[in-house]
Amino acid sequence: MSSSFREGLARISVGLLAGALPAAGARAQSYEFGAPVRNDNFGPGFNFAQIDAALLVYQESGSRIMAMEPTLDLSVHGADGRALTLSAVADAVSGATPNGAVPSDKPQNFVTPLQPAGSSATVTSASGGSTVIKLPPTPGQVAAAALGRQYTVPANVLPEDEGFHDHRAALSGGWTQPVGGITDMGFTLGYSRESDYQAITASGHTDQTFNAGNTNVSLTLNGELDSSFPFGGIPTPLSQMNAQFKTQTSRNKSQAGFVLGLTEVMTRRWLLSLNYAFDNQSGYETDPYRIISVVDHLSGEPVQNLYEGRPTKRTSQSIYLDNKIDWGPAVTDLSVRYYTDSWGVRSSTVELDQRINVTSIAYIEPSVRWYDQKEANFFRYFLVQGQPTPAYASSDMRLGSFHALTYGAKFGLSLSKRSEIYLKAEYYHQGGDAHPAAAIGQLKQQNLFTGTNAAFAFIGYSWDFH
Amino acid sequence: MKWILPLLAAALSACAPIKDNFMGPKPYEKDLMARKEMQVDAYPFLTQAEEHIYFSKEASSGGRGFAGGGCGCN
Repeated sequence: MSSSFREGLARISVGLLAGALPAAGARAQSYEFGAPVRNDNFGPGFNFAQIDAALLVYQESGSRIMAMEPTLDLSVHGADGRALTLSAVADAVSGATPNGAVPSDKPQNFVTPLQPAGSSATVTSASGGSTVIKLPPTPGQVAAAALGRQYTVPANVLPEDEGFHDHRAALSGGWTQPVGGITDMGFTLGYSRESDYQAITASGHTDQTFNAGNTNVSLTLNGELDSSFPFGGIPTPLSQMNAQFKTQTSRNKSQAGFVLGLTEVMTRRWLLSLNYAFDNQSGYETDPYRIISVVDHLSGEPVQNLYEGRPTKRTSQSIYLDNKIDWGPAVTDLSVRYYTDSWGVRSSTVELDQRINVTSIAYIEPSVRWYDQKEANFFRYFLVQGQPTPAYASSDMRLGSFHALTYGAKFGLSLSKRSEIYLKAEYYHQGGDAHPAAAIGQLKQQNLFTGTNAAFAFIGYSWDFH
Repeated sequence: MKWILPLLAAALSACAPIKDNFMGPKPYEKDLMARKEMQVDAYPFLTQAEEHIYFSKEASSGGRGFAGGGCGCN
């Protein structure tokens, strides 16, 4: 057996051994990798803390979604490699979002629940250009919806619900430390809450550095438990859209996965990272607010709107490769990712960031990201009247075939040796097939691609202190 | 997807001959690796925010880290 082959086997064995170690953990790095110290002002064996604060502003074109998201993060590093991280995120989201129906050459009406019978709240108007409607009792519903909301979409306009708004708050905390001969072990817990959604996340992490500090193997185990409790209840998949409050009010989804990582210092100037990720989801995957049109098989006119339905299982895998190369006054970061899942989605992502240190305290970093996605096997622009209804169907463009291009630039300025302020602005554009070959009748004249164009900007501040 | 794990194993073992040839940088040659911009994730805040946007607008997620989003935006 050759020495290189034996060494290769040894590396795999170490990787598997690291994978078998008990899980726990947050992000941690050895000094050889540049350290838990993200600024190089403190060496190993120093106590210090770091505060990161940032604000994200996000705006989609066409008066769609607008979001503001402030974040705050505090990490405290001990001299012995222990670290505590706490973070808080809040966001406010509002605007119009496509409801999933196709456009028509005639005006279309849509209805959603507004207020259940027996509610003491007074409703005199509805938001987003909607009107309030009174509904007759419907047998089998938990209560006859006293009030519904109806909105009308003009002819030849993409149907959007303009009444969307939500708030979210999320907290997380993590701990990491060396354990025996293991470089780092730790865990992270998180909680996120919206008006109609809740997520609890937990992860454990371990990593081991060896080979004179040039090789690092890591394993992260992740779990998530989500609860969806949409306004109006859980609709029956592929049933007709209506304004009644549904009997079932919530559904859960669980998620478990792992990320196996290898980081290698290839040369003095070249850092390589390779990740393999596996993820398994089970439970309620459907968007409870989203519908899909049923159209006439000749005219293409929508004749019915059904709630969408998605499979309750999803398994995904991805492989991610990242290279960082130092050229002196510039650093190139080039990454690629390939993703595949049991829904039939396939995607490839390439991202390139080029940091250029303009002066000793300032830098600019142009970036570009290319993304290409193949649709899920149950994605449909619409369903056709008279044809058998499939087991699952969604017209959510996020599950369709499209490509996306992001380009932007970041500007960073060191305010002192231990603090930095940065601003990054980006533009995101999705492109796809606006006129699929399967279009029927009037649909041939409509733009059926409902992808997103968005501009977003971050401003962030980072401060290290004793 | 049966090829992914063998590919990962091959990549792991491939480090051996590379190290034989280049030996890897010595500890005193890690000056560049210690710089902030050479960290694996130098600006995790920014990375998380961007990943969150892509998670809410695309069907793929994860790879760099966990595929979960911790929200109901997808």
